[in-house]
Formats: sequence, C-alpha cells, structure tokens
Amino acid sequence: MDVGAAGLYVCLFIALYFEVFLLISFFEKKPADKTTERPKHYPSVAMVVPCFNEERTVAKTIESLLAMEYPADKLEIVVVDDGSKDGTRAIAEGYAARYPQITYFYKENGGKYTALNFAIAHTTTDLIGCLDADSFAAEDALIEAVKEFENDPAAMAITPAMKVYRPRKMLELMQAVEYTFGIFYKKMFDNLSAINVLPGPFSMYKRGVFEQIGVFRHAHNTEDMEIAFRMHANGLRIVNAHTAFVYTTVPQTVRALLKQRTRWSQGFLQNARDYKHMFFNPKFGNFGVLVLPFGLVAFCAGLYTAGYALYRVVSLVATRVGDLYATGIPAHLPDPAHLSWYYLNTNMLSFVIIAVLGMTLVAIFLGSRISDTRLSPKSFVAYFALFGLVAPLWLARAAWGAILARESAWR
Amino acid sequence: MTWQKYILAFVITAAIFGTAFYIAARLDAQRIADIRSTQDAISIDILSSETQFELLGSLDCRAISENPVLSEELNTLSAKLSVAEQNLGTGNDEVTLLKKQYSLFEIKDYLLLRQISQKCLNFKPVYILFFYSNAGDCADCSRAGDVLTYLRATYPGLRVYSFDYHLDLSALRTLETLRHVAGDKLPAFVVNNRAPVYGFKSLQEMQKLIPELKTLATSTATTSAGI
Repeated sequence: MDVGAAGLYVCLFIALYFEVFLLISFFEKKPADKTTERPKHYPSVAMVVPCFNEERTVAKTIESLLAMEYPADKLEIVVVDDGSKDGTRAIAEGYAARYPQITYFYKENGGKYTALNFAIAHTTTDLIGCLDADSFAAEDALIEAVKEFENDPAAMAITPAMKVYRPRKMLELMQAVEYTFGIFYKKMFDNLSAINVLPGPFSMYKRGVFEQIGVFRHAHNTEDMEIAFRMHANGLRIVNAHTAFVYTTVPQTVRALLKQRTRWSQGFLQNARDYKHMFFNPKFGNFGVLVLPFGLVAFCAGLYTAGYALYRVVSLVATRVGDLYATGIPAHLPDPAHLSWYYLNTNMLSFVIIAVLGMTLVAIFLGSRISDTRLSPKSFVAYFALFGLVAPLWLARAAWGAILARESAWR
Repeated sequence: MTWQKYILAFVITAAIFGTAFYIAARLDAQRIADIRSTQDAISIDILSSETQFELLGSLDCRAISENPVLSEELNTLSAKLSVAEQNLGTGNDEVTLLKKQYSLFEIKDYLLLRQISQKCLNFKPVYILFFYSNAGDCADCSRAGDVLTYLRATYPGLRVYSFDYHLDLSALRTLETLRHVAGDKLPAFVVNNRAPVYGFKSLQEMQKLIPELKTLATSTATTSAGI
C-alpha cells in the first residue's frame, strides 16, 4: 500500500469513528417526539432581526415572527438595521408603525455582531433570540425553544433545527440534505453537551449569558461560533431544540456558497486557534476532547482526501490519454465481458468507503426523522454528486485565508 | 464524559474495518477459485485437443483446424489473472503459482498449434509470443499488452501467448532460450517463429510487423485478452 492510500485509510477511519460515536450517542438517548404541551411560563422574549440590505426577505422574516404562537405582550421584535442602503429601512419602518411590538433601529454599518449587541443593550427581556433576515421560523418554534429552557433549567442557550427553505435548484437540494445531516449531528452534539455553534437563524439566549461572559465579538465574522466556544469555556450549557424548526434561504450559486462556507470554515480555524487551550482538555468535556479536535482533523482530512482523489483522477486520465496517444488504439468502450463482478474493484478501500457512505445515509435518515423532513431522491443525487466537488474548494480557500490571516467576506 | 463510549466507538470502527478487510479477502479468494476452475477447464480442453490430434493425426486436417486450439477460456483466464495480480500484488504466491500454470498451458497450446500447422498445410495460424515484465523494468510493457489486446479483439483468429519473462519456470526458460529472447530489451515479440522484435510498437507498427493479419477475418466483437 502506498503512503497516499495509507493516509486515505486514516482519514476514513476518523470519519467512520466519528459517525459511529454519534450513532452510539443516538441510541443512548433518542430525541423525544414533538408534543402539543405548552410551556408553564412565558418568559419575555426579544427577537432580534439584524439586517443589512435585506429588502428581499426582511418582510417575510418579520411576518414569521408576528405569526409566532406566543403572547404578543411577551414578544418584542427588534429590527436592527446595520446601515442598509436598499429598501430595508422603508419596509421595516412600515412594520414598526403598524405593530407596537416591533421596534426599529437604524445604525451605522458595523457588522452583524454590533447589531446584535445594539439590541442586547436596548432590551430588557428574559430571553434574547436572533433571527437572520434571510430566515423564517415555524409558528411554534418559540414555544418549543421555551419548553426546552423549562425542561433543562441549566440550559443557557438553545439552537433550533435548521431546514432549507423551499429547495429547488440542485445546489439548494444538496444543502437540504446537508442541513438534514446537520440536524442529526447537532442533536447528537447536544447529547454530548458539545454544541459548537449557535447559528444566526433562531438561536435563543438567556440574558444571563451576556451578563456572565459579555456580548458578541467580531470573532472573524463568525460571532455565532465564537460565543458557543466562549460559553463552553465558561461552563455554560447549550441545548438543541430539535422540534423548533427554522427555515433558511441558502446560497443558490456556487460563488455565493463558497463565500458563505469559506467564512464559516475560516471562522472555525481562527476561533479554534483563539481557543486552542480547550483542545484535548477533559475540563471542557466532549467539546474539548471530541468536537474541537475532530473539527480540525475533519478539516485536514477533507482537504487531504480531496487532494488525493484529484491526484488519482488526474493521474489516471493522463495515463489513459497518454496510452491512447502512444498506442494509436482508437477510443473504445470497455469489453462487455468485463462487466462481471470479477472485474469490479472490490478492495478493502471500496468497502470502507461504502461503510462511511452508509453511515452518512443512516445519519441523514435519522436527521430527517428527527425533524420530520422529506428529502427527494433528487436531493440525494445532488448531495452525493456535488458535495464532494464543492466542499474541498471552500476548505482550501478557508485554509489559505487562515494562513494569510485574511478577513473572510460576509457576502 | 464517558471514556467507555470513546473506546466502544473505536472497537466498532475497528470491527467495521476488519469486516471490510474480510469481505475483500473473501472476494479475492473467490477470484482465485474462479481462476482455478477456469484452469481445470482449460486443462481438459488441452488434453482433449491433444487426444483429438493423436486420434485423427493428419487424416482430417479440416476437422482439426475448424476447432480452435486456443480455447476461449485461455483468453478469459489471461484477463482474470491480470486482475488478480493487480488486486493481490505481483509477489503473491498464489498468483505466481496460477501464472505458472497458465504459462504452461500456453506453451502446450503453442506446441500443439505448431504440430497441427506442420501436418496440416492448409492450416496457417498467425501467432505472437509476447514477453513482458511487470517487475518495474519495462515501462512500455503495459501499453504493448493493450495493443495486443486490441489486435486480438479485432482479429479473433490471432493467437497471442503472453509470458512474464521473469517467471521462475523452467519450461519458460527453455522457450526463451529456443526463441533467443533477451530480457534486457522488453517488451519482445516473436511473430510466427520469426526472430524476436524488441521495444514498444504502436498499433500501426504492430500491424506492419504482422502482415499475415490481412489473411485473418476481422470482428467487431471483442474478446478479452491481456498480460
């Protein structure tokens, strides 16, 4: 076995180990089904909508908050316009004029984290939630999140189950599968008390979080990840409300997707560096021992696997083209006699890859059951055909950006 | 945080890897068994051909020449051995043993072919002895094998006998000596018992090297061949 293949086996072993670990966690504590039960108390909530040039989607985001099954006197909707230059202001001001529970603020552009901090400073509610202006929450999402806070009094922040809003194009369908997979592993991270990010769409915080550890930071444009790291560093518990559904619009072009994912991935690398003291430190539980190290290893393994696969494909194509040129044999289809099982590649690597893909499918299936998501066969085709091609691109860009300490772009 | 879970996950992952190794090994064993069974069939075919030849002698050359001496199984076997060699490695004892048996079959078939052609004047076979090496000292051997595979698929009447030059087999050593094949300039081709020709030859060069190909019928159907 050559060194390249040996490295691939190591990467696959790590990927399989992680998947097995999550599956064990699933069978240890299966997620509870959604109930019609109501919370015993309704704490006051401020839902913050930070926005910057969101005229296309901000109205729908506000509408989804207005439609929340939650006492209106307990729900405050705070739209913080981070210096939009488009029609966002007119739309949001219009809503604020019509609905007394909506407050609109306009401020100089300073980045999303400044908009969130602005809202924290201008509210007094028990809970503070964030809903990005490109996302829409289910009507009972807030109820479900509040129930989770009630069920687990130690919980200081809640993450939702994120789904893709009306996926149609191939890239959106790919992301729909990816988000469903994400629902599974986010719940398993919850079982391990190791949730690594509080996503912009519909994460909820107890006000005490900001009083104890401070407000959001710039954090390499990934303030939602950094605050999760900081909460773990300070022993604050994050819980996943898998029955609180939130729908987010996802990038529709490769260019936009790469930009978004490069920001996320680069943010992980840079935040991981800032919190390197947590790596392999049992004091921080599974977050320090498993999630952080695995995240970094998965990053490297993804790049290595993609690089190795690219090298093999290019070598193979170059060899075949060289052979055809040198031999003068006309291009022809393979001998039909070679279609029997005998000529299939049945080495150990093939079966290990099948095992990894099988485990991934199981995780996606469980994610779809947890979140009651239906994925079409086309989504799976899009996922398995595209993800392996585009993911290495953002990993490489993120690695390059982190090495150069270059600022990742928001959009 | 429970360390048992970390250990359990490791054990299960290792077990999945072990299972993958086991399945791959079982399939490789199945391949070897497949080759053995093909070789058994070829052994009977060759014995049958020899017996047929002895029974008929030169009395009925038409009956002999209408039945191809080189069985189709020998072609299939060549391709299968090539796959087994790729999967299990050139140093695998089982593969080496099977290659030796295959080479002996080829030599026997070649001798039988020559005997028939000497006795039956109307039977004019076109054949090539192809000597290659996969010990890393013959970069062009694989490409030469591709050319011969293509030729054999194009001309079903063409007989290609391929031999691993470095195979430790006394009968093969004798054949190499008789045909004056040197091992330092591989690949080597012996066409219809003419002097050996060395070095890689493209499809066009190979067609010029074997003018007898014009006497053979072409086919669009492909047959397996290889080294």
